Amino acid sequence: MRRTLLYLLLGPASLVMVVPLLYMLSLSLQTEAETLSAEAVVWPESPQWGNYAELFARAPFGNFIVNSLVVAGAITVAHLIFDPLVGYVFAKFRFPLRNTLFVALLATLMVPFFVRMIPLYVLMANLGWLNTYQGLITPFLMDAFGIFLMRQFIQPIPDDLISAARIDGASELGIYRRIILPQTRPALAVLGLFTFVFQWNEFLWPLVATTTPEMRTIPVGLTLFNQEYFTLWHLTAAGSVILFVPTAVLFIFTQRYFVRGIALTGLK
Amino acid sequence: MIRPRTLAGRYARTAYLFLLPAILFFAAFFYLPIGNVVATSLRTGPQADQWAGLGNYTQALADPAVRHSFLVTVAFAVAVVVGSIVLGLALAMALDQPLKGRVAFRVLLLVPYLTSVAIVGLLWRNILDPELGVLNRVLLAAGLPAQQWLNTAPLLTIAAVTLWQSVGYTMVLFLAGLQGIPETYHEAAKIDGADSWRRFWRITLPLLAPTTLFVSVMAVISGLQAFGQAYIITGGGPGDATDLSVFHIFNVAFRTRDFGYSSAQSVLLLIVIVAFTLVQLRAGRRGEVVY
Repeated sequence: MRRTLLYLLLGPASLVMVVPLLYMLSLSLQTEAETLSAEAVVWPESPQWGNYAELFARAPFGNFIVNSLVVAGAITVAHLIFDPLVGYVFAKFRFPLRNTLFVALLATLMVPFFVRMIPLYVLMANLGWLNTYQGLITPFLMDAFGIFLMRQFIQPIPDDLISAARIDGASELGIYRRIILPQTRPALAVLGLFTFVFQWNEFLWPLVATTTPEMRTIPVGLTLFNQEYFTLWHLTAAGSVILFVPTAVLFIFTQRYFVRGIALTGLK
Repeated sequence: MIRPRTLAGRYARTAYLFLLPAILFFAAFFYLPIGNVVATSLRTGPQADQWAGLGNYTQALADPAVRHSFLVTVAFAVAVVVGSIVLGLALAMALDQPLKGRVAFRVLLLVPYLTSVAIVGLLWRNILDPELGVLNRVLLAAGLPAQQWLNTAPLLTIAAVTLWQSVGYTMVLFLAGLQGIPETYHEAAKIDGADSWRRFWRITLPLLAPTTLFVSVMAVISGLQAFGQAYIITGGGPGDATDLSVFHIFNVAFRTRDFGYSSAQSVLLLIVIVAFTLVQLRAGRRGEVVY
């Protein structure tokens, strides 16, 4: 009885989550006529894989994909380099102004992106960095959240380990790379996954910082494609599938990390 | 310990060396822009180079369009917060039971969280479209009247769409919170004869308060800065019914090209967000339970 009720809640809820995405796949394979027919098409008569080719012919979709990979990839690498390094310093070093700097860092958590949007646009325009990779990448090279996560993770590593390495004559960078970094692997995996997925999906800044179609990322390129060809839903759906598949594949292989990562963000 | 002064100095030098990129980054891409947005908000003109004092702020506070967009945004955020807590907690409690297939359910419920706002927006605009939308074609085929949710209840509809994407995230947070509650409390209450309804109100909910607070703070912060839903699904309409603040600011900045006025509105919205966060944290602290 109780069990039936639970299934009656979880079953329909899961369907509501997944069916729209499956419909997106179906839509991407329909003919234009099927997308417009009075009766809803559940699955196309004959799947139109050619829709994907047509999408590439109508918009520089190859550029969008490369741009998304470059931007999300570069930002992820930057996070993986800088967040643990800075987290390590705040976890294990004593130095003047340490607390002041740490508070100044955490304060940036309270600054939503829209506050930086206009001044960053002006800055990039002055630098001539609109429509460039550096313009899309640099505002997101690190963030306080990733640094904080890594600091929490590094703090429990025993200080003796570090002192012993110092006595053995290891360099400071060597200690970080050979002793600290290897122990943070699970946290790095979470950090890398979240950073990549968020940046892959990022919408507002690429919309603001690009004006030429060739420099757009997939989310922005697809949305503006839809504004231009707003009746060609099968092509918009094809683009959506392309945008979704990489994150879905990542998720299938790493869903445990995602769940753990979300739970980590909720720690008091 | 032989030369502590120089040793401490050496560590400090190493620390600053490691911190240097971060200091430069946060100065250039956080503190400089924050300074600039405040500076620009005090100026006016097409180049935002004429001193305006607090003119932009008084203008914004008196501007019906700005006030309306703030109200719309707060209503949207409240809807998202309430939905996140009620649905997220309900799903988490269901998943907290020993059920076959709970991992599969958890995965399925979390899938929309991975989608870009571009997918959320475009997909649901298609599904909900009054003429071409699949939902109305299904309803009509079933002999039911077509619905125009984006016209009749636009704000609630985009809040629901936002929940579709984010509720899996809140569910996982609540699930972690539920699993942190020691089993002994429930067992003791059961022995004392408390039914499950009472146990929910007297044990689960109070002990879950920190998670609920976190979920509500996060949902308010992200709800108040929603943008894509308005930009992609409704275009702020019909009329100005879904003119969310960041969408409004975006239009003033990049369509009207009034950087001074839009910067002032950004600062005002930031103040609203910080105020909401502080109020929630204070209310949360009062209700805190130690166990």
